[in-house]
Amino acid sequence: MFYSEDKKQYSVLNRRTFLLYLLKVSFFGIVGWRLYNIQIKDSQKYKTLSKNNQIDVEIIYPLRGKIYDTNNKVLASNIKVFDVYIIPENTNNINKSLNELNQIIKINFNDRRKILELSKKVKKFQKIKVLENINWSQLEKIESNKLNIEGIFISQDYMRTYQFDNTVSHLIGYTNKPNREEVELPFISNMPNLEIGKDGIEKSFNPNLIGKSGQREIEVNSYGRVIREISRQDSQKGNDIQITIDLRIQQYALNLLKEHKAGSVVLMDVNNGNILCMASTPSYNPNKIIQKPNKEYWDSILENELSPLTYRSIQGLYAPGSTFKMVVAIAGIIHGIIDTNTKHFCNGKIGLGDRLYHCWKNNGHGSMNVSDAIKESCDVFFYEISKKIGIDKISKVAEDFGLGKIYDIPLPNQKKGIIPSRDWKKKKYDESWYPGETLISAIGQGFVLTNPLQLAVMTSIIASNGKNIKPNIIKRNNDIEFEKLEKYQNAIQIIKRSMFKVVNESKGTAYNSRSVSAPFAGKTGTSQVRRITVAERESEDFRKKEVEWKKRDHALFVGYMPVENPRYAVSVVIEHGGSGASTAAPIAKEIFQFTKNLEI
Amino acid sequence: MLNKIQNLNYLLIFLVILISFIGAAGLYSAAGGSYNPWASRHLIRLVLFIFLAIILAFINIKFIYQFAYIFFILSLLLLLSVELIGVFGKGATRWINVFGLSIQPSELIKITIILALARFYHDLKFDEIKRIKNLFFPILILFLPFALVVIQPDLGTALSIAMLGILILFASGIRIWKFVLGFFVLILSIPLSLNYLQPYQKDRIFSFLNPEADALGRGYQLIQSKIALGSGGLTGKGFLEGSQSYLQYLPEKQTDFIFTLIGEEFGFIGTMFIILLFLLLISVCFYISIKSNHIFGRILSIGVGSNLFIYVIMNISMVSGLMPVVGIPLPLVSYGGSAMLAIIISLGLVLNAELNGNLKKIHNA
Repeated sequence: MFYSEDKKQYSVLNRRTFLLYLLKVSFFGIVGWRLYNIQIKDSQKYKTLSKNNQIDVEIIYPLRGKIYDTNNKVLASNIKVFDVYIIPENTNNINKSLNELNQIIKINFNDRRKILELSKKVKKFQKIKVLENINWSQLEKIESNKLNIEGIFISQDYMRTYQFDNTVSHLIGYTNKPNREEVELPFISNMPNLEIGKDGIEKSFNPNLIGKSGQREIEVNSYGRVIREISRQDSQKGNDIQITIDLRIQQYALNLLKEHKAGSVVLMDVNNGNILCMASTPSYNPNKIIQKPNKEYWDSILENELSPLTYRSIQGLYAPGSTFKMVVAIAGIIHGIIDTNTKHFCNGKIGLGDRLYHCWKNNGHGSMNVSDAIKESCDVFFYEISKKIGIDKISKVAEDFGLGKIYDIPLPNQKKGIIPSRDWKKKKYDESWYPGETLISAIGQGFVLTNPLQLAVMTSIIASNGKNIKPNIIKRNNDIEFEKLEKYQNAIQIIKRSMFKVVNESKGTAYNSRSVSAPFAGKTGTSQVRRITVAERESEDFRKKEVEWKKRDHALFVGYMPVENPRYAVSVVIEHGGSGASTAAPIAKEIFQFTKNLEI
Repeated sequence: MLNKIQNLNYLLIFLVILISFIGAAGLYSAAGGSYNPWASRHLIRLVLFIFLAIILAFINIKFIYQFAYIFFILSLLLLLSVELIGVFGKGATRWINVFGLSIQPSELIKITIILALARFYHDLKFDEIKRIKNLFFPILILFLPFALVVIQPDLGTALSIAMLGILILFASGIRIWKFVLGFFVLILSIPLSLNYLQPYQKDRIFSFLNPEADALGRGYQLIQSKIALGSGGLTGKGFLEGSQSYLQYLPEKQTDFIFTLIGEEFGFIGTMFIILLFLLLISVCFYISIKSNHIFGRILSIGVGSNLFIYVIMNISMVSGLMPVVGIPLPLVSYGGSAMLAIIISLGLVLNAELNGNLKKIHNA
């Protein structure tokens, strides 16, 4: 079956075969060139990519240090919590899994929608967080149903917890995720998801509490699954911190403050400056801030016009009222303006220029020496002596007694307050000082503003016979010795005797609060929050009238206990509490008695 | 018979065994340094199929010639039955079970296409080739399996059938202008055929055009396989040291992407070595074709060589990003019985053609 064209056909076939072979060789050439480009020319690039493929560095977050009170009671620590994830590739129906989970723990509708959206975007093997920080009992319920719920993955985590809710919240603060600026902080370094302190001790001691991150290098496959650990460097737990607060007193004080809308109690140890109690109300519950979702709680805090986030003990500024009179008296004594025998007559008011300055007692106190003036809190006496002392000398003494200062304690946003002077007014208002302003200042009104901690420090200095006490909040191993302000010795003795009379002699403003079990000395203060009109002053009983809460006077009391060799100094401030004698002094009494009982 | 054994082309057999051993080494590595599950079965199949191929080589070529169309029709029916099972059974499939061996009829049909075309051109007078009407039958032989494979849908195999047909028609002496015309028809039909592509096939083509745009999705395979190849460099990371495959970044590393694993572990030198082995194997087929004294043997050898060429070029182009990922294995190297069986049997036919190359007349022999 071969034909005459055989030869012709075979030569065509040979030619075609040759062309075909050429075509194939050239195709192999193209492929070879391609491989040359990938394997030789761009090799370095692919080598880098390959390395990135395999090695993943995982940061191990450190455990945050604990915070203890002075008696080693845990105030802040970390509890194990659990996060629930869903892995899309492990479930046939993500909706069904979420439904089943929802029967155990409610998943809010928006979160659920977000999870479903996310599940469509991410790789099928990637974990999606469904629930955060669930507790043991919830976990148990999930665990017992885990077989029924497809694609569920549970991982362990730690959550900050505060054992006593809002008792020490202002002082300790709370933790939360860092914001955009905080992420740059050096101690966060490579831990963008680290919960950091946002307020109080938690904030100030972030570098100590956080500890050091560890890391592990892991080899991962394309599914993101860990094949093996290459190296591991464990994290270092943060340092624990012990503060000087005595939780028992703090709790007790807060309980006393409960009856009032807003206020502060500060108790200091006169011997070493340790702050034993620094309670402020209203306060907030840091656990509710940490536990997500917290939006509702945040909103309630922010909407509260009493601003529960404010730490009144150091951030609340109040006119000290009559508690400032000790400072004025001391200034008078050391400058020789008065001695124990100097008397002024109080008929209820004095005039200066074309204005009248009233004593709180409309009818006047009669003839007063310094001791009586403090005991009965006579305003006219202090008007008279302040005219002679002058504002600048009063200011100097006030500063020596710790007022108008920001203390070197690790609490953020302390408010300095104002101790006015001629220079201060010139700088601030570019105005000269009016003599009438000295009178107002002498009774702790007008420009004068202090915070409750400053008042407690002032009282401590008086109680310790003039030791230059600095407040302290972090527990020290060895107490430090404060230098004594020698020039005030004599004056302080006079003032202390007067402060004893305030509480322990009849006619003393705090006589009703005297204590048998824990005798103490002190001074009441009632500071106006508005100017009292002439019409009001003329109406007989304007102080007793039920006035709107916001217009009521602030009630203050400062004091120390025991009377001889005082150990504790207190300041109590109740916002719009009415009067120091009726509202603040009884609280001081309770605090002193409670503290004294603890000593036994 | 002894004469025939002596005259077997042992270079061809050696090349098949060498390439398959390299494949087995790759599969051993792909399994993380284990003969199971792939390498051992790969080697068993090799022995079995080589034995089968040598038996095939000793069969009288007259028999193969006479049954060429029957083989084609049988394999076409097999392909159709897979299609019908797909339609009436449980979902689409490309496999059929024959004597416990999963067989992909689309692999077998390529060989029977070669046989059918070889017989057709053997029977056709050379003068008759230029007549248009004589194009009808070869095109039908190509179109039927092509259409069946397209609707499976198996884009890669369909494409390789089309290319195989073009190469054989070219080799058999069809006028060049007909190819030029055919080429234009093909180009014009591309936009049309795009409409018939399955969504996943479209995705593949678009991800091929820009793999980095979707690095974790469709372009993932391609990027990872390029990383594997590229990170191998000149000499490779060493046997069993390929981190890409070890860490499972390589998709389908035991089948279609085995070449990248070899490229990662043995580098440019390794990939070039394999390419040269294949080129040598194809050259042997062409040499046998040129030597053959009858058209049947010539077309058969060229067809088998071209089939091998299409596999190799498509696979390597695919894994090196010259072509969309279409699912074509690397012959003798990739794991998979059907393709290996088809390749080795077809090479057995080439061995046969060489042994019977001197026969002047097949028809009457």
